[in-house]
Order: sequence, then C-alpha cells, then structure tokens
Amino acid sequence: MTVLIPEEYPKTLIDKNDKRLDGRALDELRPFKCKIGVLNNAHGSAYVEHGNNKIYAGVYGPREVHPRHLARPDRGILRVHYRMSTYSVHDRKSPAPNRREREISKIIEDSLSPTLFLELYPNSAIEVYIQIVAADGGTRCASTSAASLALADAGLPMKSLVAGVAAGKADGKIILDCGDLEDKAGSADVPAAVRMIDEEFTLLQFDGEMTPEELETSIKYIKKGAREIFAVQTAAIKEKFDRIRQETDAENKIVEKQIKKEEPKPAEKVEEKKEEPKKPVSETPVKSAEPKPEPEKPAEKPAEKKEETK
Amino acid sequence: MDAPQVVSTIQRKYVLDLLKQGKRIDGRGFLDFREVKITPNLVPKAEGSADVRLGETFIITGIKYDIGTPFSDSPDQGVATCMTEFVPFASPMFETGPPSIKAVEVARVIDRGIRHGDCIQYKKLCIKAGELVYIIFIDVYVMNHAGNLIDAGAISAVAALISTKLPTAKVVDGKAVWDGGYMPIPINQIPLSITFGRIEDHIFVDPVIDEELVLDGRLSLAINEKGQITSMQKGGQATWTEEEIIKYSKIAVEKVNELRAKLNLRQYIPKI
Repeated sequence: MTVLIPEEYPKTLIDKNDKRLDGRALDELRPFKCKIGVLNNAHGSAYVEHGNNKIYAGVYGPREVHPRHLARPDRGILRVHYRMSTYSVHDRKSPAPNRREREISKIIEDSLSPTLFLELYPNSAIEVYIQIVAADGGTRCASTSAASLALADAGLPMKSLVAGVAAGKADGKIILDCGDLEDKAGSADVPAAVRMIDEEFTLLQFDGEMTPEELETSIKYIKKGAREIFAVQTAAIKEKFDRIRQETDAENKIVEKQIKKEEPKPAEKVEEKKEEPKKPVSETPVKSAEPKPEPEKPAEKPAEKKEETK
Repeated sequence: MDAPQVVSTIQRKYVLDLLKQGKRIDGRGFLDFREVKITPNLVPKAEGSADVRLGETFIITGIKYDIGTPFSDSPDQGVATCMTEFVPFASPMFETGPPSIKAVEVARVIDRGIRHGDCIQYKKLCIKAGELVYIIFIDVYVMNHAGNLIDAGAISAVAALISTKLPTAKVVDGKAVWDGGYMPIPINQIPLSITFGRIEDHIFVDPVIDEELVLDGRLSLAINEKGQITSMQKGGQATWTEEEIIKYSKIAVEKVNELRAKLNLRQYIPKI
C-alpha cells in the first residue's frame, strides 16, 4: 500500500494540565452511543458508536451448526466473527480475513460465553457477526459491548451484559479508554471487558510496560468506564422494550374489547347444556354484568402469551 | 443451508396472484422504486463513504485509494475496482468465507456500470504516465439484504465516489508525494442502475426480497445522464423477447432519470 498521507503520531499525548489530545481528563470515557434492533434480518442486532468507532453486531441463532461435526450434543456453541471493513482504517485493509481478526473473534467469544446459558441449546450454534465500519482504537472492546447488546436484543437469556473498555499508559500516566493515537503511540494498552453482574473480567489482554500498582489503577479505571457504558447499554435496551410494552398494552386493549363482545355466547351454551331451570331468565344479564371485571383477566393472559411466542 | 432458500410454492403463488391483479406484495406500483435514503461521509478514515438504504436494503460503501502502476494498454489512466462483501448478518442466507458467486456478480455489474458509463475521468487519476496512477477501491458492504442489491449497490457506490476527497500528488524523485491539497474524484456522468424482476409475463422494478426469491429472472440496466444504456445484465432463467427488451430499456431510461433527479447526487461533491 502506498499512501500519500502517512499517519503521524504526536510526541506528547497529555499536556501539563493532564488534558489529553481530545481534551479528555485521564479517567474520562469517549462519547458512547448505542442502539439495538438496527438490522432487520438478524435475530438480534446492535449499533455502537464509541468515540469514532462505528460498529454493527448481528446475531443469528440458536440454529443448526455448519459444519455438523462442530456441534456438541450436551451444549450449544457460540461463534463470533469479528471483521473490519476495508475502509475502516487508514491504510486499506485487505478484504481477506487475517490472523488479528481471528484472534479477536476468539477472545470476544470467550468474553461473551460466560454470560450465556449455552447448555440450553444442545447441537446448536449462536452466531455473532461483528462488522467494524469505522475504527478508532479499542475496536475489540467496543465490539464486545455491541455483541453483548445484540445477544440481548435477540432475546437470549443472559446472566449479564458485558461492557468493554481499555485502559492504557501514555506519557507515563494511566489513562482510561485509549483513542486511536494513544493506542498506537502510547506505552501500554489493557483492553478489557467486564461482566456487569459481578464486575468480573471476561476479556483481558495487555501489551506494554506497567508496574503492578499502575495495573491496579488501570483496573479501577476500567471498572469505572465499564459502569458508565453499562448505564448507556441498559438505557438502550429499556428504550426498545418500553416501546414494545406500550405497543402490546395497546394491542391488549383491543383484544379485551373483542372478547367482551363474544363473552355472552359461551355463557348461553353452558346454560343450554347444564340446564339450570331454577334461575329465572332475567337473572342472566345481571350475572353477566357483575363479573365483568373478572373476564378481563383471562382475556389478558392469552394476549401476553401471543407476544411471548412472537 | 437455511430455510429461506427453500421457497414454498405457496409463496410464489401468493406473489404471482397479486401480480395478476396488478398489485405487489408491498403495495407499490410495478414501476415504483422503494424510498432511498443516503448518508454520505460516515466513515472518518475512508476517503469517501455512503450509507444507503433502499427500503430495508442497507448498504455501506467506502472508498480507499492506492498509488500503483497503470495497465499497459492504458498507461495514462487511473484504475477503479469494485468489490462487494455480503456481511453474514445481512441475511440468514449469507455465510462466512470468500465472496460467493452472487457477491461477485453484484460487484461486477456495479463495476461495469461505472467503467463503461463515462463516469470517472480516468486520465485525471494519472500522476505520471506509465508509472504512477491512483487505484480507487470501491468496497460495497451489504449490511441488510431486503432485495435488489444491484441497484442499491450502484447508488451507494456512486454516492461514495462523489463524496470522495482524494489527496493530490506531485512527483518527487520518481515517487508520488502529497502536495498538501485535495481534489474530488473527477466525474463526468453519474450512472445509475435499474433492475426489472420477472415472474411469468409480469415485469416490475426494484424487486423486494420476497419477490426476488421467487423470480423467474431479472434484467439490470445501467443508464448514464445522456440517457444511454451503458451496461446490461440478464439474470435467472427467464427469457426475454425483442419487444420486451426494447420496451423496458425505454422505461429504464425514463425511470432512472426520475430517480437521478430525485437523488440529486451532485449535492455530495465535497467543497475544497
């Protein structure tokens, strides 16, 4: 690849006032945005913008395993495919998958598996596809956050969401959430992902030089960043399911009305069959009027079940 | 591998019955395109890019460049090549692995529409004749497949090309060096593509996925701004009569002109 404008790395990444290149404080996260249900065909999907990273994740499954010999009779398998678009980086990436992509796919797989109940899906596969549209440092962490959201959007039972963020070291100082230049020009990088239910680490890598004390600070920063990301992730899921709840509430109301109209018919049939002559005919309308609030409850239940099966 | 590839006779009959009544599965007229939405320049590190939605079909195309040697039969011309990747989450029918034959066909058809449509001024992409030219990569990523990838891909490829900002070069010691400036990719004509789907004798524009799966065949045409046909591709096993080819090539020119006016793609030319 010949590129006219080579990437340049600044000599200093942090100024005297502990401000970073983009004006962030040492322990400040880049802007994090996300949305779920962004791809129509996938069973679950999510879009994440973490700084200038733009990432789509899509989930299919549980579905049949191909090739068949990978299927396990006692549990399902999770397969993650992390891919970068050719134009997502400064020097065009070759369209063929490379070793880096395969490794990252593997570590994301290991990071998400501990949040799923794979034993529920014997002989099946859950497939997660991650496409990096724009890369800006820390794609594996942002991908983990996105993939976790996509799995949740697919409606799979999960123990927890996973939030990914990196810490690093630049100009001798520990920083949270390395940007692209800090990643490339910094002296250490700790990509990590945290399972939010117990704040245990499900993804952890390290490149560079740090003392154990510096690592401790990094881990504290990572947990702080992960909590902030988790808050946005949760809000994204709530936003979608609040919308669904409102829609189903509206649907339920229509069902109630329909059933109310049909209600007298089975009552009449019961009367005919069992023949209860002791009760005068005039009583029946009174009867049907009194328990009116009650039939509403059974009316709601079938409607809810319908939603679940969808 | 997945169920959607097996389409039931019932589904085909349903689509066909509607067509016989002059209706389509999504309520469109036979010659209506779905709504197009374009977001240019969404990828900071690409020289150009576009997010294009044709109904629920969703494509992101990015432009990258390289400096390389020209082909020996056109030593004073740059090169543009198109690649298509079907991202596996775009459809349950897509699989991981090298591009499928369908992905290659889409890329080739888009490529030919651009190459033979007098679109890019290749001579302006030459830095030093016979030695240094720009090689433009048009990489089309299908993110959600809801039918008619050729037309959606063509729109996204052209939109991304138009939005591109290329660094300009000068020659120093036989090497290309950035001279500090930028230029848009010089473009003459904007080619656009139109695809007709066919089931028996019913012919319609912009097939949606449910129609595409039961098509007998399709015919794609690329049309330039002069109203000339610049490339064609017949797909599927259906056969076309002389009258049909003439009739639909005329309709194609008309519909593409409408679409081109509506999209107004030149608004995405970067200001430099």
